[in-house]
Amino acid sequence: MRLTLRALISHGRVARRMGLGPESRINILRNILTGLVRHERLETTRARADEVRFYAEKMIDYAKKGETNEKSMKMADFWLTEKDLIPKLFKVLAVRFENQTGGYTRMARIPNRENLDRAAMAVLEYKGNPFPPLFPVRRVRELSLVNQLLKGYREEKAQMVAEKKD
Amino acid sequence: MAACTRRASETMGLLRILRNLTHNERLLSTSVMRHAAASDGPPKFTPPAKPVIIDKTQKEASLRRFLSPEFIPPRQRTNPVKFSVERKDMIQRRKVLNIPEFYVGSILAVSMSDPHASGNLNRFVGICTQRSGKGLGATFILRNVVEGQGVEICYELYSPRMRNIEVLKLEKRLDDNLMYLRDALSEYSTFDFNMQPVRFELTGDVSVNQLKVKMKPKPWSKRWERPKFNIQGIRFDLCLTPEMMEHAQKWGEPWREYDMLKEYDTSSLEKQIFQEVEENLSK
Repeated sequence: MRLTLRALISHGRVARRMGLGPESRINILRNILTGLVRHERLETTRARADEVRFYAEKMIDYAKKGETNEKSMKMADFWLTEKDLIPKLFKVLAVRFENQTGGYTRMARIPNRENLDRAAMAVLEYKGNPFPPLFPVRRVRELSLVNQLLKGYREEKAQMVAEKKD
Repeated sequence: MAACTRRASETMGLLRILRNLTHNERLLSTSVMRHAAASDGPPKFTPPAKPVIIDKTQKEASLRRFLSPEFIPPRQRTNPVKFSVERKDMIQRRKVLNIPEFYVGSILAVSMSDPHASGNLNRFVGICTQRSGKGLGATFILRNVVEGQGVEICYELYSPRMRNIEVLKLEKRLDDNLMYLRDALSEYSTFDFNMQPVRFELTGDVSVNQLKVKMKPKPWSKRWERPKFNIQGIRFDLCLTPEMMEHAQKWGEPWREYDMLKEYDTSSLEKQIFQEVEENLSK
């Protein structure tokens, strides 16, 4: 389970070990990130999703610096293996999260994989995507009995305060 | 009363001896002094001229924005309070000791108090090959070749024994760590102890010395050609074949610069600490 980044940076153990080594790890994460930028929502094992999440957020931070920034362009070029996604990153995602600082992604745990190895799975998505929401949105029922009673109570109280003032 | 005036006159007389030597012909005789004092009464006190103190070191301080690298805390879990307290102590020390701006590659003269040295002072001149450590324990290494023997001394910047740090030549080199000078020809780390300070620009960027050193034949203390060290200041073409250079690239980690988890952006931290240091130093 991932703690905060600060807590993880102890004794140089920052990242999870994945794949066949550090290079393989970066390549796995690169491919997942590319898929995330293309589809905006995807399903992977939980550890990978959690690991990609950090990079996905940082990628948006870099994209916000604009296309003219040399470093952010280099980063986008490295992390997006399919180059047709670079304009999307700068023109769609960066614009979408303009007024937001951090928390660009959402992760949800889903049941373990059934067919292969029963690995713990997760769904990772960029917020503000066009898909139906991951978590059910709580509807506020205005006409339910409790809400109606509460409404009446508030009105009554407001009236009493007004009378007292007079 | 008489004894008191005598004592006062003695001290005054000693002062006067120092100032105008023509007054007394026999300098070391105290009896003559006493007679003189007795003859014309207690001498009148003449306050010495107020000395005009010109602090040349302060005048030489550069005008560019420079924050010493040991102020920036390392990226770790240590409580930040520790670093802020240490910063206070460092500023206190800096008010007493003038620690000038210098970089790896600058030539420094360091005086340290040493009870075993003559005059309790030990002076060493050398090129700064490395700066390491954060906070109060920050160190730097000076290297020189003395009588054919390479000498490296690791100084603690905030050590109470430190008396004076003088920058003889302010410049940078192509690398941030010059430890490869150990394996380079000795001419590159030989400096004269009587070297005169070289004037440097007080504003603008510090000049970078583009010197590339020639190395002794292998084996070296480290495999400097490996991409991990990323060394620019060595003439590899003279000591290694192109095949060897290519072979060294096997240990390269080209993805490392793109790993955002490894980044440590200190720009905002640096600005904040610089402001804090400026405020407290001027207090």
